[in-house]
Amino acid sequence: MVFPFPLLGGIFLGWSLGANNASNFFGTAVASRIITFRRAYLLCGGGIILGAVLQGRAGLQTLSSLAGSDLTSLVIISLAAALTNTMMTFLRLPISTSQAVIGAIVGVGLTMGKVHWSILTKVIICWIATPIGAIILACLVYWLLGMIISHVPMSMLTRDKILWSGLIIMGVYGSYALGANNVANATGIFSGRLPGISDGCLLLIGGAAIILGVFTYSKRVMLTVGSDIMTLDAFTALVAVTAMAITVHIFAFVGVPVSSSQAVVGAIIGISFMRGVRAIHFRTLRNIGFGWFMTPIIALILSAAGQAIIAGMSKV
Amino acid sequence: MLFVSKQTQIEELLAQYRQKVSLCLNNFHESIKKYCQAPDRQILGNDFLVVHKAESLADDLRREVEVMMYTKSIFPESRGDILGLLETMDKVPNQAEFALHMVLTHHIVIPPQFVPSLLRLVDICHRCVNSLLEGAAKLFTDFTNATVAIGQVDVLESEADAIEANLTEQIFAGDLEVVHKLLLRDLVQNIAAISDRAENAGDRIRIIVAKRNV
Repeated sequence: MVFPFPLLGGIFLGWSLGANNASNFFGTAVASRIITFRRAYLLCGGGIILGAVLQGRAGLQTLSSLAGSDLTSLVIISLAAALTNTMMTFLRLPISTSQAVIGAIVGVGLTMGKVHWSILTKVIICWIATPIGAIILACLVYWLLGMIISHVPMSMLTRDKILWSGLIIMGVYGSYALGANNVANATGIFSGRLPGISDGCLLLIGGAAIILGVFTYSKRVMLTVGSDIMTLDAFTALVAVTAMAITVHIFAFVGVPVSSSQAVVGAIIGISFMRGVRAIHFRTLRNIGFGWFMTPIIALILSAAGQAIIAGMSKV
Repeated sequence: MLFVSKQTQIEELLAQYRQKVSLCLNNFHESIKKYCQAPDRQILGNDFLVVHKAESLADDLRREVEVMMYTKSIFPESRGDILGLLETMDKVPNQAEFALHMVLTHHIVIPPQFVPSLLRLVDICHRCVNSLLEGAAKLFTDFTNATVAIGQVDVLESEADAIEANLTEQIFAGDLEVVHKLLLRDLVQNIAAISDRAENAGDRIRIIVAKRNV
């Protein structure tokens, strides 16, 4: 079998996704020294590959229906999104890979005069729903967990053990949800377009690429999420990771890839509603917001420029 | 011990540590009481050895806990908190031992007119430490309520301060030799310092609970 070279763009994108987004689930645990980077990598990787293979199919279909069928365009889309992601990771900003991919798809679509506005609307609604859902879930988890911790007599060591163990379990669950929801971003656009490559194979390749990103380049953003947005203690960290994981998992069922970064920021805002907004580092939050705003724009510009260059070259 | 978790082992050691601190303070209280009622340096010397032994045993247990805490099974946050608390709590039996040692080595004679107030001060300090130990124990059974006992530590510490000030004033108002006055003043200050140390440890407990409050 000949290696499908267009898929390299998807693998690059998967790598950049792993480098950027995996941080959301283990950032706090790593920053708090409760778990080593090595162990976080392994747990995160295991969760991602399981989620991608077992539950990543729905997102795959959404992405493939958004993208066109021209292989060159697909490569441009994945490269533009991957470059945007890598750039933001270098700047230590947790961003939305989904926004990068969709921005790149729209860029190519605009150049070619073909944009699937109806599916795009569904995706954008889900993007808006992500932080809102995370805010609501964070408030609920905060209240519920707070009731248990405050009213059940226990040793401080038991309390700490429950929270830290919960943080690791939810980190794995969140990684699973990330794999299920976001693998489509990496290889979804190639679904049904590469002869001899099944969806199952795409999910596996996407998952592996994400893990590669986690292993090789996720440390930078992991520390931003773990300590720079808000100084999270064990309790608030567990609330944030749980709310984020559930939110991302819900959208894995819906079949729309959403951003774990937007979910975690939503969760932290939810926590601040319960505890007081003074604890938030607004400067970091502002930088992240700027990253979100710029991500689809940069990806759109890169992909539109790439598509225009390729189109110009083919005319010559 | 094979199936006992690290947490249980640490909690058991800490319970033993509290028992030794309590024993040290009980012996200290009894020693001062006996000495005030019938000053006998021979008996005081023996009593000091008993207090010293309890303090040493508490020290040994503290070291054992510290070594155990540095194994990987305790979360960094809990480790720092418990080590900090132990460090602060350890000053309580040390202070009691120091005060008793002072009576012994400085040949301090307590004039009868000061005995009731001095015994009251010792009693308040003892109760203050007992409240501290109660609060410390709660950390490992019902940590959210640990601060209730610590509130009592503050009340007793203030009471000890008032007795200290009053006793010092009485000592200097009397017609004892200046050296005797100064020695008695130092003794009173050193006994009252037990409640100060207990209050410092209580503040640690308060911070531990506050950090974990929802």
